[in-house]
Amino acid sequence: MASTVVHVDKLTKKFPAPGGGEEFVVLDAVSLDVKEGEFASLVGPSGCGKSTLLNVIAGIEVENGGSVTVHPATESADGAIHVGYVFQSARLLNWLTVEDNIRFALEAQGVPRDQWRDRVTKYLEMVGLAGQEPNYPLNLSGGMQQRVAIARALAIEPDVLLMDEPFSHLDEITARKMRIDLMDILERAKTTILFVTHDLREAVYLSDDVYMMSTKPARIFRHVQVDLERPRQPEDPRLFDMEKELVREFFSVLEQTQDQ
Amino acid sequence: MIKGKPGLVAGVLTIVGFVLLWQVVSLLFLPSFLPGPRELIARLLVVYSEAEAYVVVWDTLRRIILGLLASMIIGGILGLIMGLHRHVEAFLDGWIMVALTFPAVCWAFLAVLWFGLSDVGPIFTTVLIVFPFVALNVWEGTKAIDKEVIDMAKVYKADRRLIVRKVIIPQLLPYIFSSLRIALSLSWKIVLVGEAFAVGSGVGQQLIIHFEDTRVDLMLAWGVSFMIFMVLVDVVVFRSWERRAFRWRHQVAT
Repeated sequence: MASTVVHVDKLTKKFPAPGGGEEFVVLDAVSLDVKEGEFASLVGPSGCGKSTLLNVIAGIEVENGGSVTVHPATESADGAIHVGYVFQSARLLNWLTVEDNIRFALEAQGVPRDQWRDRVTKYLEMVGLAGQEPNYPLNLSGGMQQRVAIARALAIEPDVLLMDEPFSHLDEITARKMRIDLMDILERAKTTILFVTHDLREAVYLSDDVYMMSTKPARIFRHVQVDLERPRQPEDPRLFDMEKELVREFFSVLEQTQDQ
Repeated sequence: MIKGKPGLVAGVLTIVGFVLLWQVVSLLFLPSFLPGPRELIARLLVVYSEAEAYVVVWDTLRRIILGLLASMIIGGILGLIMGLHRHVEAFLDGWIMVALTFPAVCWAFLAVLWFGLSDVGPIFTTVLIVFPFVALNVWEGTKAIDKEVIDMAKVYKADRRLIVRKVIIPQLLPYIFSSLRIALSLSWKIVLVGEAFAVGSGVGQQLIIHFEDTRVDLMLAWGVSFMIFMVLVDVVVFRSWERRAFRWRHQVAT
């Protein structure tokens, strides 16, 4: 039995309403678990607080209730917890070369300097950008920039990798290629992932576990497991069937909440 | 790249036009009142054939460099702190405004009274006049910083030092460069005025000596030659430095 890496327990997050009215509840007692080596997705409509959940896990926002615990997946040398994050846009430092962008994360995480060169080479190669070290980000296409961002996140060898709609800013063809490649990359990197998306097909194709979230209240209303062998084919009819069923569920929940 | 032929042609036309206009205007006056370009070049050659001229220029240059450096450091740090801490911003805002509006001439006179005939006077005056501009510019730059990459840095647990060094300063660099160029153009003029007041050496003193002798030709020789020198520093040193610092921008995605 794989151990739990991310444990989210009845997490609640409120934002003050603009104009000082009643507080706006973005996360209402949300619970989920991500196990070591697992790919979990969080699916929900825009504005349902998915990104906020990632930000709380990453430690850049503070919860108002409940708790988030991240356990190191493996016994790391420094005992620290390493969280990788891939955002919607690449968020690279455009004034640094590709190599220095990755080194930035390694330096920030306190990775020993003698490992930097090997890690940069290894993870750039893994995302298919071998030899791009001296290039500047603005020379790369949007898809390639996002690959650098993925390499940066993997290079810190994270206990958990958080991905916030990482392909939503890419055109569909590039995004499709990236999803297929992401599967290969994860096969090699063996990383635990929590992936946020509003695209059910993407979630079903990539995940072992799918958590579905509604807006009002901002809760997880369903947890499904995708028990399909890997590698998966994007055109697998079983994926379509699953997607259709989940879309139906989404609509029924949406109608219920609107009736209230 | 951008500086192709049109820029060069415009530059040459400007200089040729200016020299022609000067020649025409100088014909309307006595040579002792406004010498023409040819007389001026002759004067320049005489002035710079003497070794003392370089001592004079170096005295002035030293004061400019020190004044510029101090203004950039003080103004840059203040601007950065104001941008990063809201309570400091509220506190320093007023002080910067006071420093900006205090008459430059007052500083120059005070410098004479306080420091007498020394290097400190013109440097002091320069710093007090220039640093508020630098602080203001850098402060403005901090408002344009991309918050998304700061969040990225925080997610990766970058400490404050690393964020300032690799995320904030590079985004301020355009503002730092424009401050540097404004600061240079301001400080060399201030140093000359300061030297004319009281210092007893440097290009400013030459100007006041030749003013007292009503030698317009020599005043212009010093003034114009120093101006050309400062423009060259700006174009050759600062702009090429700037271009190198922003090379990541020039390679645009294909």
